[in-house]
Amino acid sequence: MSLSTALSIAQNSLLNTQRQMGVVSKNMANQYNGDYSRRAAVISSLGPGSQVATISRATSTALFKQNLAALSGWTAQSTIVDGLDHLQLAVNGVDNATSPATLIGTMQRALEFFSATPSNRTLAENVVEAARQVALGLNQGTSAIQAFRADLDGQIAASVAELNQLLADFKMVNDEIIKGAAGDRDVLDSLDRRDALLKKISEIVPISTISRANGDTMIVTADGSTLFETIPRHVHFEPTPAYGATSVGNNVLVDGVPLFSATGANTTGSGTLSAMLQLRDGYANGLQLQLDEIARGLISAFSESGGDGLFTVPAGSTVPPGSTGLTGLAGAITLNPLVDPTRNGDPLLLRDGITTDYNPDDLASFNERLFAYIEKLDAPAGFVTASGSTVSQSLTAYSAAAIGWLEDARKTSASAAEAKSALAIRSAEALSNVTGVNVDEELALMLELEHSYSASAKMLQVVDEMLRTLLAAVR
Amino acid sequence: MKVSFVSSQAISKAMRYQTARLQSDLTKATTEMSTLRVADTGLALGARSSISVTLHREIDRLKGITDSNELAAARLKSTQLGLQELTAAASKLIENYSTALSGAGEPGIAQRQAAETLTLMSSVLNTNLNGENIFAGINTDVTPFNDFLDPASPNRVAFDAAFSTHFGFAADDPAAQTITATQMEAFLAVVEPQFSGAGWSTWSRADDQQITTRITLTETAQTSVSANILGFRKLAMAAATVAAGFAGPLSEEARNVLLENGVKLLGQAVSELADQQGYTGVTEQRLAQASERISMQIDLFSGSIRNLEGVDEFEAAAKVTALKTQLEVSYSLTASMQKLSLLNYLS
Repeated sequence: MSLSTALSIAQNSLLNTQRQMGVVSKNMANQYNGDYSRRAAVISSLGPGSQVATISRATSTALFKQNLAALSGWTAQSTIVDGLDHLQLAVNGVDNATSPATLIGTMQRALEFFSATPSNRTLAENVVEAARQVALGLNQGTSAIQAFRADLDGQIAASVAELNQLLADFKMVNDEIIKGAAGDRDVLDSLDRRDALLKKISEIVPISTISRANGDTMIVTADGSTLFETIPRHVHFEPTPAYGATSVGNNVLVDGVPLFSATGANTTGSGTLSAMLQLRDGYANGLQLQLDEIARGLISAFSESGGDGLFTVPAGSTVPPGSTGLTGLAGAITLNPLVDPTRNGDPLLLRDGITTDYNPDDLASFNERLFAYIEKLDAPAGFVTASGSTVSQSLTAYSAAAIGWLEDARKTSASAAEAKSALAIRSAEALSNVTGVNVDEELALMLELEHSYSASAKMLQVVDEMLRTLLAAVR
Repeated sequence: MKVSFVSSQAISKAMRYQTARLQSDLTKATTEMSTLRVADTGLALGARSSISVTLHREIDRLKGITDSNELAAARLKSTQLGLQELTAAASKLIENYSTALSGAGEPGIAQRQAAETLTLMSSVLNTNLNGENIFAGINTDVTPFNDFLDPASPNRVAFDAAFSTHFGFAADDPAAQTITATQMEAFLAVVEPQFSGAGWSTWSRADDQQITTRITLTETAQTSVSANILGFRKLAMAAATVAAGFAGPLSEEARNVLLENGVKLLGQAVSELADQQGYTGVTEQRLAQASERISMQIDLFSGSIRNLEGVDEFEAAAKVTALKTQLEVSYSLTASMQKLSLLNYLS
């Protein structure tokens, strides 16, 4: 009786050891899988002599939630950083070489050269060329900003499609878990998959999860709209195919509720969607508004009593040249063809007056107008800032301040990104330390199991010998 | 129960982040060391970037103004030389006229000298520097001064017409010997407006307005002298009346009227030209001072830029060395950590 009990216990132990070996092997195979949670085979007794190894999965709900939040914050901030870098390079260029401020400075210098020798046609052409660069810089800045907005719009649409797909996947995995829990099946791999999906979703929108009976999970966004509840809720976005300066992009609707709009360079938003919306509607429009104001300032600084001067808007343009704020004027502004030598214009009209003749005797060194232009560029005028307030600044100062505005945002967002990435890394590390695999530990466990296995095997052998001895005595 | 558990992935990731971070810092530090500026001025300065942009722009503008000041200085120097030359010529003419008045020497000498002075006036007042006629006021694309010795020139035509109208014959007509001193004085009163009044336009096409130059960011100065100033007019009248009037066989009393009037005008011309030289000298000095101030401003602004975005070279070099050392430590740590595995001790 006792011997057969010993035999069956040893047998049971062999089985459990094999099962545990399986778990060790699986843990080791997933040592570098970030979405894997370490399994542990725990031996528990069902009754005397009957032990069973149950497999459990290491989790930490608090750390996982913290990791999701940190991940959302970090993806939003890094999206802002990348977007601002892109805007800075596309509009202001390396070392601000193509910024309106630099181009206006070059033009002002050319004007000063010309005013010192107003009879020199080459210097007049030089000013006109510099002015053309200013107009082109503003035009290109505008198209770069609008291309950036259109690009973001496309990315938002793609992210929304991905989010909808992730939610559909989530439903499948969630359903499996509910069924498995009810039917007592192994759902550990599905749990891993569900966590991986949650991580991916939180990169797009900030979420919090609510656990319910049978392992069911409900997802709500940080601002309270339901993303998933038994079935995925539809996330809707209507893309705008082409962007003009005054186009207004659509918001993302989660279950019919618009996504909360983030503000600040150290963004209040989380997840790529809100950051992309913030870039598209906040920063891109802010920069465009400043370019428009610069264009308006230029047209007004050079205007003559008889009409537009060096800068004008082309005939048939729908942009109202006089109105302040976001108008798209920077995209329309152009060099007055009357002074443009490539369009049979006369650059010396800049000295004499384009629509009004200020120099009726055509005196070659007449430079009163040129001085007036130089002074106008440095004289204070009313400008609308990106935040919407009106300041009294000179055009040159305003254009320099536009650079400061963007660089300030870049600096703030870059340092915020550093903090948020540190948080994301730390929380991922903390989570990984709780749920990840340590190979050395698994190896040590393997050695233990090996010993336990050989001990059980030895036991079998000894019991076998004992039984043989017993049988031999009987024979 | 586990105490201070660490996952294999956390270990390798931590080392990877560390290395990546050091490498990106090293690229930045290397750029800083080679340019001696912060790697990304925008990120380093933030809102203060606008100050740096403004300073860069002001420096460029100031440099441009320094260049145009040199141009104006060259113009003023030529003007000054021209004024000196004409003052000398006027003084010499006074001597000649006085000699002629005292009865010594040929009247022809005074006439030749007057003609030479007129030639000198055309050559000086028509000085062209850098494509600009510097005595033309702001009408710099025309040669301002007409040559009186050319019979077809408008000033000569006007003078001859006035002479014929007044006396009924041309200046070189033999009848000129009948002209009395009173008649000559009356004639001088008639031609005087040709020089001091509206008739001067037959002499000069210059504009009264002088060339204005911006000599600092905020200050302007008049940097030329117009051919229309009184000194030139008087010099021209003193020379022209003698050069043209002496063409005929004038009586001595009529000649003396012209010479006396000439000496009087020349005296005034010399003093006015001297005044003008004084003004020009003052402007030259203002210009030199302005350029000096500008160069000080440029130094000051460059200093501010260095303070804003400059990097101390020793600091930059030390940073690069430190980062390299750290990176090496990180590499060797990574390698030895990878070796630290139970796997290596199992057989």
